[in-house]
Amino acid sequence: MNRISNDSEEMELSRIDHILASEEPLIPSSGFLASVMERVHEEATAPPPIPFPWKRTVPGMVLAAGVFGWGAFELVRYGLPAVGSIALTPPHLSAAVARPLEQVGWVALALGASLLSWLLSRRLAGRGGLL
Amino acid sequence: MSATEALAGLDLADVDRVLAGDLAAFEGIVRRWQGPLINMAWRYCRDRGRAEEMAQEAFLRAWRGLAHWRRKSSFSTWLFALASNVFRSELKRFPTETLPLDAAPEPSRPAAQHSDLATRMSHEAVRRAVLALPLRYREPVILFYFHETDVAAAARTMGLPEGTLKARLSRARTLLRQRFPHLEVEHTGMELPALKSGKEA
Repeated sequence: MNRISNDSEEMELSRIDHILASEEPLIPSSGFLASVMERVHEEATAPPPIPFPWKRTVPGMVLAAGVFGWGAFELVRYGLPAVGSIALTPPHLSAAVARPLEQVGWVALALGASLLSWLLSRRLAGRGGLL
Repeated sequence: MSATEALAGLDLADVDRVLAGDLAAFEGIVRRWQGPLINMAWRYCRDRGRAEEMAQEAFLRAWRGLAHWRRKSSFSTWLFALASNVFRSELKRFPTETLPLDAAPEPSRPAAQHSDLATRMSHEAVRRAVLALPLRYREPVILFYFHETDVAAAARTMGLPEGTLKARLSRARTLLRQRFPHLEVEHTGMELPALKSGKEA
């Protein structure tokens, strides 16, 4: 095993390093250059992509935004006073029904937390290249 | 003028000509860089046909993005970084079939009469084992040896700080050494290019 100095840091060089460093180079196949240039020419001569029709779309988008805005305004105008008048009375359930329902809620919460944790760990492992 | 500077000058002239509308000038770029790009792609997938397809895709992306090269780094640095992105995303879409690292075959000691063939096969087994490493360790190994053990060039291609690349490289080598312990004690007379740092690719 060799030791080669690199910026005052020594790195051990094993046989594995020798193997990985001594790979015979590939020679490109004879038609490679031609095929690349053919594809470049194809792309260069292809008609330019059709531009997005902003002129036709903008009026529609403005109209849609106006309708949604008006809808939101009306909702706030009529909806908010109505919310205040709603009396929230919980349904009366007997203890035999209420207890299992409460437990189901906790089970659902636990399942949700497990799912979130699983998704998060998969995401982290995927980002780290472990998957 | 050094060979690297001369090459950089040729690249710059060809890029300017392509941007001015001379499509034929791109041929010069492909001619100069087809070998390195195919060899780099080969190290990513170890499949000759696929390596050429991926290199072709990298050249096409380079042609499309030529105007975006900001000329802060050399053309080769930009091209290698772009190519590594292309190869990475291609292999994410269609991964190469690899064995887990633990299942990679251990190279056996070659019999005298077939020593050359057996040595080649054992070397190939080690090179293929690189593809079984987790992605975060695989790519530093591929690029480090592709750039002839130039840490700085490999780091530039990956867009990582040199320290991060060295750390990942060190972990990757540990994994490989654990997988092929008997290669540690063998001795060869092969010369390894000296480790380089800070050299422009």
